[in-house]
Amino acid sequence: MKHIANPLPILDGHEKASGQLAFAADMKIAGLLHTKLVFSTVAHARIKEISIEKALGIPGVAGIFHHGNTPDNTYNSTIWFEDQEAPQDEQMFPRTVRHVGDRVAAVVAQTQEIADHAAGLITVEYEVLPAVFDVVSTEKTCMENAGSDEVSIFEKPVLEATFDYGNYRAAFDNAELIVEDRITTPKTHHCAIENHICIAMPQDDGRILIMSPCQSIFAVKFVAAKAMGVPASSLRVVKTPIGGSFGGKAEPVLDPLCAYFAKTLGQPVSICFNRNEVFTATRTRSKAIGHIKTAVDQLGRILARDSDILIDVGAYCTGGIFLPDSMAQRLCRLYDIKNQRYRGRSFYTNTPPAGAYRGYGSPQIHAMSEINLDHTARRLRMDPVEFRMKNLIHPNSVDPVMGLEVGNSRIRDCVEQGSSHFNWRRRWSASGKGNRFRRGVGMACATHINGCFPGFHEATTVTLLLREDGCIDLTCALHDLGCGSNTVIAQIVAEVLDILPGQIEFSEVDTDICDYDLGTRASRMTYIAGEAARRTAMGLKEQILLAASLMLNCAVGNLVMEEGKVSGNCEPGRCVSLGDLALHESVRGKLLTTTQTYRATANPGSYAAHFAEVEVDILTGAVKVLDYLAVHDLGRAINPQLVESQIHGGIQMGLGYALFENVDIDPDSGCMNADRFSRYHLVNAPEMPPVEILLIEKGEPTGPYGAKAVGEIATIPAAPAIVNAVNHALDTNLTELPLTPERIVDACRIP
Amino acid sequence: MNFLKQDNLLITEPALKQEPIVLQINGVEYRDYTTATKTLSQFLRETAGLTGVKTGCNEGECGACTVLVDNKPVNSCLILAFQAEGRQIITIEGLLGADGTLSPLQQAFLDYGAVQCGYCTPGMILAAEGLLREIPNPDDREIRRALAGNICRCSGFLNIIKAVKSVASQTDTPVVA
Repeated sequence: MKHIANPLPILDGHEKASGQLAFAADMKIAGLLHTKLVFSTVAHARIKEISIEKALGIPGVAGIFHHGNTPDNTYNSTIWFEDQEAPQDEQMFPRTVRHVGDRVAAVVAQTQEIADHAAGLITVEYEVLPAVFDVVSTEKTCMENAGSDEVSIFEKPVLEATFDYGNYRAAFDNAELIVEDRITTPKTHHCAIENHICIAMPQDDGRILIMSPCQSIFAVKFVAAKAMGVPASSLRVVKTPIGGSFGGKAEPVLDPLCAYFAKTLGQPVSICFNRNEVFTATRTRSKAIGHIKTAVDQLGRILARDSDILIDVGAYCTGGIFLPDSMAQRLCRLYDIKNQRYRGRSFYTNTPPAGAYRGYGSPQIHAMSEINLDHTARRLRMDPVEFRMKNLIHPNSVDPVMGLEVGNSRIRDCVEQGSSHFNWRRRWSASGKGNRFRRGVGMACATHINGCFPGFHEATTVTLLLREDGCIDLTCALHDLGCGSNTVIAQIVAEVLDILPGQIEFSEVDTDICDYDLGTRASRMTYIAGEAARRTAMGLKEQILLAASLMLNCAVGNLVMEEGKVSGNCEPGRCVSLGDLALHESVRGKLLTTTQTYRATANPGSYAAHFAEVEVDILTGAVKVLDYLAVHDLGRAINPQLVESQIHGGIQMGLGYALFENVDIDPDSGCMNADRFSRYHLVNAPEMPPVEILLIEKGEPTGPYGAKAVGEIATIPAAPAIVNAVNHALDTNLTELPLTPERIVDACRIP
Repeated sequence: MNFLKQDNLLITEPALKQEPIVLQINGVEYRDYTTATKTLSQFLRETAGLTGVKTGCNEGECGACTVLVDNKPVNSCLILAFQAEGRQIITIEGLLGADGTLSPLQQAFLDYGAVQCGYCTPGMILAAEGLLREIPNPDDREIRRALAGNICRCSGFLNIIKAVKSVASQTDTPVVA
């Protein structure tokens, strides 16, 4: 292997480190108009009147948009193919606003200053309606409304997913011990450093071109078309470089509006959110409340589990229809539990909408499960590692919900090797003592998916073309979110063709050039797109060898393709460079190119176990993470350096989820308290602990060179590992995330 | 910019045209005759066209807009452009060699996997560059403190710290001013 397992720096690193990569906000577009949105200041209200006269009188204002002059088509911003079913509850500008930060109007003007100024002159009269900020209240109302046809969709559950297998009742009846917890995970924010932005402009051919940092150009196209009420063919979408997303830019929030403004005004328009707007008017991670009940026998075998999860999707459904099932799917692929019942329900509240966010339900459900299991181990007086080892699944298990094989799942290796490497037993037995500063260790396991199979058109189409300079053009709607997925794809293609990764040139991600693709979601880049690229490269290699065989007059079996050329052993020294071969073919009217579509046939699990040691200051409630080990079963690391960076970043996000991060909706007003960086604390450089990484590379048969995903799972076990460590240090059972200093001090208070 | 918020009173550009703002950026002089209320980050991005300067929060929390002002890292969103008059300003573009080669610190960010999406990178590199100009061989704690005002959401900071350390250890001899 020349390029697989090579810690190659990301291919676009030079442009990034030199500041030369042009993000959407850096693009110079002649005649570009700027937008300022007017947002609802109340959590739930009917708009009685919008006064725009003063704003219209400001020189430089090009247009003012609101519910009275925009399409009232309903849509769901989560869809990524045209006929995808999802509750359509969003509108460009709703007549009834449903959260503080909902869209009321927009001013488009010659400069941002003029737009900001004019937007401040718009006044809105509201007829305030009752608002609900906690999902428990919504659940109660929905239960009361059950069966009534009179209520709106917002007063009904978004979705209920259930499963039930084995005989959990009997198992609970016969259990030695039942441990029950109510665990809550907070509403959090992605905090990509690039704010949300969109640019749209009319093209000469009458279509509207949308350019934005997105996770799926086709999702943008179909969502915008639906919202605008225009054929999707009248829109063209191009992805711009993306300054971080983590799911936050998966759903097109600004694109439908921006495209409509550009179409109406016949001029290029941009919408560039500021940080506060990104917090309050885009997407969040859903808040969830779980009741988990685990039944065990004396030996620590899990007999049965009952999980009841309430998911707060916020003001609009978006992907809230998928969450209950997603959580169920991930919950059942980690432990071998013979009897299990699950009920996951998502409900609306009058808070900013939830949406995709790294892990899509996994961080919530695994935090709940892992915190409860640690509690169970404590009650059994059993080492949590030993307890988990008694119950973790084995390779090639079949998940009881979807009936899919989990693949070469190596979670047992993760826990075994990790606990030994971390000196778990010694540290676990030693900690807890101390006066003001208490030390503890915690660990947690997790699993996540690899792609969308068996649903949602899980396929990727890649086109490769050998150019006359020996480089390869790769055409595919690959949305590198900044973590270097294109570099990984290039390494895979380079490995097959034995050229340099830098010789692979990626096409623009443009709906006019690329075949349909789901985009970057569901941990599908390396596993699905990587395999698609590998297979296409194999196809191109076949063509190259065939052409070279004719040119060199040598049987394919006697040809060797290496280092950018093909040589045959029929005539010593006779060889042709790939570039010359392409030239030779092109003058004969033949291009060396192939297009292949790879349809996924499996959805194996990626696995991880994280171990942490913390020191808790019981006087201030501050938690310091002293040491950290992340063990990942990722099949094979195509690029160990990028894998390392993904894991580090995942831990940064997970520590925040455990300890600080919460957008914190005010229970009286519905306003977001932590609505900017100065009020929303993230783990920064001084707080980041030393991290050691151990990779379990035993190969996934269906993955490219044995690889599977790491990006999303990197963050999933981090929060429960930290919470478990704090509970170990303090001998508490804290279950409400994040473990803020206030909560910790409260728990340590002597009654 | 409170005066912009007054009803129907948007101060028009000619009214604001007074003395030009003159800034020395990466050794080049830039002049701007427009508003005196421009922040340094706006001046750098809009007037000077140096879009390597990013903005992420406009409240001095994320550090994406960090530039060097007289060798010290400054959140360029928090000061007005005219406040930087007479100072030497360096942006990410100013670290590049004449032939476009990366500076040792920029190269180290690349080599150590300290660059992911690239949005925080220019500010992060300049925060580190400011540290190295003040303390040529900082320890781990000094590096972490120097980067405390810069948020990276992709990388978890550890490879950034490693990259800075790698350059620090190369410059054992103090830089002669």
